[in-house]
Amino acid sequence: MAKERREIRFILNGSDVRLGEVAAQDTLLDFLRNARRLTGTKEGCAEGDCGACTVLVGRLVKGRLRYETVNACIRFLATLDGCHVVTIEHLRGADGGMHPVQQAMVEAHGSQCGFCTPGIVMSLYALWMQSAAPSDAEIETALQGNLCRCTGYEPIFKAARAAAELGDPAADPLEAERADVTGRLKAMADGARVTVSRGEDRAILPADVADLADVLAKHPEATIVAGATDVGLWVTKFLKPISPAVFVGHLSDLRQVDAKAARLRIGAGASYTDAEAALARAFPHLGPYWKRIAGWQVRNMGTVGGNIANGSPIGDTPPVLIALEAKLHLRSAEGTREIPLEDFFIDYGKQDLRAGEFVEAVEIPLAQEGVRHAAYKVSKRRDEDITAVAAGFALRVENGVIADARLVFGGMAAVPKRAAQAEAALKGQPFDAASFERAAQALAEDFQPLTDWRASAEYRRLVAANLLRRFWAEEGEGAKARLEGV
Amino acid sequence: MAKDEFQSRQFKVVGTRVPRPDGVDKVTGRARYGADITAPGMLTGLCLRSPHAHARIRSIDTSAAEAMKGVKAVVTRADFDVTPESSGNRDVLDNVMAGDKALYDGHTVAAVAATSRSVARAALKAIKVDYEVLPHVTDVDEAMKPDAPVLHEGRQQESVPEGYSQNVLARSQYGHGDVDKGFEEADIVIERHFTTAATHQGYIEPHACLATMGGDGKADLWCCTQGHYHVRDTCAELLGMDTGQLKVTSSEIGGGFGGKTTVFLEPVALMLSRKSGKPVKMTMSREEVLRASGPTASTSVSIKIGARKDGRITAGWGDFRYQNGAFEAMNGALGAMCGFAPYDLENVRTTGWEVVTNRPKAAAYRAPGAPMAAFAVESVVDELAGELGMDPIDFRLMNAADEGTKAAYGPTYPAIGLKSVLEAAKDHPHWNTPLEGENRGRGFAVGFWFNFGGNTSVSLMINGDGTVSLSEGNPDIGGSRASMSMMAAEELGIPYEHVRCVIADTASLGQNDITDGSRVTFAVGLATIKAARHAIDIMKARAARIWGIDEEAVEWVDGAAQPAGPNAGKFEPMTLKEIAALASKTGGPIAGHFEVNAEGAGVSFGAHIADTEVDPETGAVKVLRYTVFQDAGKAVHPDYVEGQMQGGAVQGIGWALNEEYIYGEDGILQNPGYLDYRIPVASDLPMIDTKILEIPNPGHPYGVRGVGETGIVPPLATLANAVSRAAGVRMTSLPMSPPKLLAAIKAAKG
Ligand SMILES: Cc1cc2nc3c(=O)[nH]c(=O)nc-3n(C[C@H](O)[C@H](O)[C@H](O)COP(=O)(O)OP(=O)(O)OC[C@H]3O[C@@H](n4cnc5c(N)ncnc54)[C@H](O)[C@@H]3O)c2cc1C
Ligand code: FES
Ligand code: FES
Repeated sequence: MAKERREIRFILNGSDVRLGEVAAQDTLLDFLRNARRLTGTKEGCAEGDCGACTVLVGRLVKGRLRYETVNACIRFLATLDGCHVVTIEHLRGADGGMHPVQQAMVEAHGSQCGFCTPGIVMSLYALWMQSAAPSDAEIETALQGNLCRCTGYEPIFKAARAAAELGDPAADPLEAERADVTGRLKAMADGARVTVSRGEDRAILPADVADLADVLAKHPEATIVAGATDVGLWVTKFLKPISPAVFVGHLSDLRQVDAKAARLRIGAGASYTDAEAALARAFPHLGPYWKRIAGWQVRNMGTVGGNIANGSPIGDTPPVLIALEAKLHLRSAEGTREIPLEDFFIDYGKQDLRAGEFVEAVEIPLAQEGVRHAAYKVSKRRDEDITAVAAGFALRVENGVIADARLVFGGMAAVPKRAAQAEAALKGQPFDAASFERAAQALAEDFQPLTDWRASAEYRRLVAANLLRRFWAEEGEGAKARLEGV
Repeated sequence: MAKDEFQSRQFKVVGTRVPRPDGVDKVTGRARYGADITAPGMLTGLCLRSPHAHARIRSIDTSAAEAMKGVKAVVTRADFDVTPESSGNRDVLDNVMAGDKALYDGHTVAAVAATSRSVARAALKAIKVDYEVLPHVTDVDEAMKPDAPVLHEGRQQESVPEGYSQNVLARSQYGHGDVDKGFEEADIVIERHFTTAATHQGYIEPHACLATMGGDGKADLWCCTQGHYHVRDTCAELLGMDTGQLKVTSSEIGGGFGGKTTVFLEPVALMLSRKSGKPVKMTMSREEVLRASGPTASTSVSIKIGARKDGRITAGWGDFRYQNGAFEAMNGALGAMCGFAPYDLENVRTTGWEVVTNRPKAAAYRAPGAPMAAFAVESVVDELAGELGMDPIDFRLMNAADEGTKAAYGPTYPAIGLKSVLEAAKDHPHWNTPLEGENRGRGFAVGFWFNFGGNTSVSLMINGDGTVSLSEGNPDIGGSRASMSMMAAEELGIPYEHVRCVIADTASLGQNDITDGSRVTFAVGLATIKAARHAIDIMKARAARIWGIDEEAVEWVDGAAQPAGPNAGKFEPMTLKEIAALASKTGGPIAGHFEVNAEGAGVSFGAHIADTEVDPETGAVKVLRYTVFQDAGKAVHPDYVEGQMQGGAVQGIGWALNEEYIYGEDGILQNPGYLDYRIPVASDLPMIDTKILEIPNPGHPYGVRGVGETGIVPPLATLANAVSRAAGVRMTSLPMSPPKLLAAIKAAKG
């Protein structure tokens, strides 16, 4: 067995923190606000929706320190092992005064009541580090996960634009600390399995993927936690116990994203953000689609693996991945197996995942020449909203005839599902409007969607059919796949 | 009284864009909100909430919870052994802690204080409530029917005619002239029915407070509220305390918009503290905020308007049925008063209905009752203009109220800004740039709000170094600390930077009404100016004493006392700073104060223009361009005024397009979270352009009118008019969410 350590170690702003008594469900936000009285970080929802709790978490990626915004309210404390947590209290400018982003926010009247402000400052800070003179689209993306009820965001945009002129990211104090922090974090990483607990409640951070398999073999009842963007809510909203929890987000070998041997492999622990660039390079139609999954903070935490493993019928990744003929790699102490992703979803709440098994990776074949792709998400609003209907389409057209069609929908059935009748209506048919119209009609036989507060059954049926029509309008008429607005 | 005449003057500080006093605290995380403070030995308080929409509480057994380790107090209604004097406060008590019945999903039925949140949660689970579940009703039209499940017996007022359910608590009527005759004179009459869903103010800061009550019965309360004096008065009554024994301090407030004008947790926290002898902190979760605090009324409104071919409206009629949640409120009356307020009508008749249902008690939300009324009236006005082939602004100009108009709700208007607002919109580039493209439509609407005055106390201290400490008693929700400092500086003739304004606790100033009704810049501003004048009088007297001349022979000019009349030029002027330095030798500290029940707030009007685009395949709406025109009387700090105008507009956009309370058949709220009660994010909103107009309010020395609320009145109608045009189908039900809009488009196409 791997070496075991009984405390987590991380850096909070300037100081090292070591904690042995940590329960699985302890959140970073409670730790900051209650234990450390760092009340600049706010709680507006404890569900990852409002961004008032946004902080930066820095971690070593291939030896280099990378900072990302996260929602402290659903980030479990134990997962900070080996990280640098930066809160609003740590922000300062190169001269020790206010940070350029803060100064810009004051000058542009970026706050009214100010409750959202610390979270917004942190998001804008992360944006400024990446792109000091951002475009409006970049600002919009950076703010996807931050709600402000007072300002209408316009003054915040002004601040984001103005920050560039008030300071240079290269002179940022966090930049100056980089070498020091990197060194301290490296010194903390001892390759051990970490187990912390409070009372009966336990959290385990396996040393590596093999150790994860061992831990799960011993504790098949454990809750696997990756980005915690689902599990976090089980704790904060539904008050469910999760102990023993096995955290996987820190496992760098599970976070790998690489294109090899004609396959794009996304490790189950890779966050949406980790996967974004490689995925969009291989499949440009997924670039804009990806940006519509949750908001920035949630994409920095949430994983593709978790989105699949949770088995939700309205997860955004399964439909588009199934359309791409993705394969799922499952692993346990017994070994590994590979299944087509679509076979993983058996029924509502039921997946092909055995006791002690975990999702290791998803693999997508890269050679998809001649295939036309599209990805659509229909929700009430463009950003930070849960899907009413999602669709992934892949169509191979040869000599004006549809040779193969994969039409996969989310939100239309108890699981993400291919539209068998609609696919049949297309296959072997000419690539023309009439075929798509027939496919749109055939959808009625494929699905009996549900009505809920997000959308009625009728609406889902109507838009699903309209998405096929839109696909034709965009692809058939030569237009590039686009996904702006809903 | 204290109506103060407006006097035109040259401003030096007022009207400029000075740095905001709260900016740095807010961007650094230093500002302290409701949940940001702690006390030694503090306990965590949590509420147990009804899982039923309507249920009789047969019994509550708290013994198991009380016996748990770490549980220091359990509170139920039995602990509140008072009967408040007013029916209003009896309702408040019933709302903060259910009596015989739980009246809505989320209604508090018990509370605990424990050493940690996890213990408190476990204790809630250990409380056994025996409920007898009763039939429920959540829809306003259903609740009015004679056979609807009844919430309260014997509360119906005499104004309600026979044939309605006991749930209809009151009816109020307004208007003048003869509407029947008016409709006969009309060439065209349009009648329509409208509905709006309940929405929530959506402030990002959940309700929070920290209560400390000692064994001697003295208590301190820290909370986020729009009115800490009101919190003090209400809590003192509910706890059977003398008002003077309770001191309430308001925290920085993370948004309220009307929703923090009442108490929820505060009396419960005080009771838990009284029972446990320890400080108790309570914070609502987002789910609790949505289930149990302040939504708006949902409405069902019928409007009928007639007009002649020449564009003159001959009659207006409206029936405003408002569902106020489980308790009495006057949203229906406010709707009935505001709907036709922008028009000069010979014949108008409106009726407001107050209906209770099994939903949380409606709280104010920026111009409560008015947006839904404007949605209905302005939609019909828009349709009429279309039918008559008239420009929507010209049609309104032809019928607009003006100075001397008898308002639909009774009074006769003094100088008002509606016509100026309409003309500004008409001249604006937005209105004059054609909107091109498929599936697009432009909408226009106007809105009205009363604005309030009310009880106000201000104290202004001249410090020894010539700086000024200003205390007001109204939580700063829209920049009042800046505005008050500016008005004090203006009046005293000193730089803005020399004034610091703080929000005093309830022990430090006389009564202050709640920060509501857009009253603060008006009323507190008035009191600040008067307090400054009071201090100036004292300083003039001190100078007179030093110079050995008559007080009357001293003037205050540009921040200094100077001899006037026969003594003019005889002495060097003495600056405020010089007088302040000598204060202890000339009679002691110098301070001005002013207390008033302010009147003459001055109504305000706004007009909005919106351009929208509809996606006919998904029903999604994109707002392309948006402009707000509003009369501010005098914009003390234009940035803050613009902020209020933008803030109101975007909340209205959310209301019009997406936000709604969704109840299941079981009477349970389906979407109590931000992911599903989705308020706008950045990408949902266009840039909101603003145009401030300044038509001085005759009732304020600087001409100020309240600006905080009017901005939310026109957007519902503006967007409905825009989307109806873009989609080619008249939208009469809000929100115009994609599913609803797509269904309407489909139905219209047949
Ligand atoms: C504000 C907000 C917005 C959101 N918006 C969207 C959205 O737009 N679209 C969308 O699809 N989702 C959305 N989500 C949901 C969520 O982000 C995704 O489902 C996410 O991908 C889950 O990944 P995670 O790593 O956070 O999973 P976790 O919460 O860590 O885990 C989720 C589930 O997967 C299991 N699990 C995780 N990893 C593994 C593994 N390797 N092997 C086996 N089981 C595993 C866990 O045990 C758990 O059952 C949103 C969530 C929030 C909070
Ligand atoms: S508190 Fe709202 S996202 Fe964390
Ligand atoms: S300033 Fe109030 S929520 Fe953003």
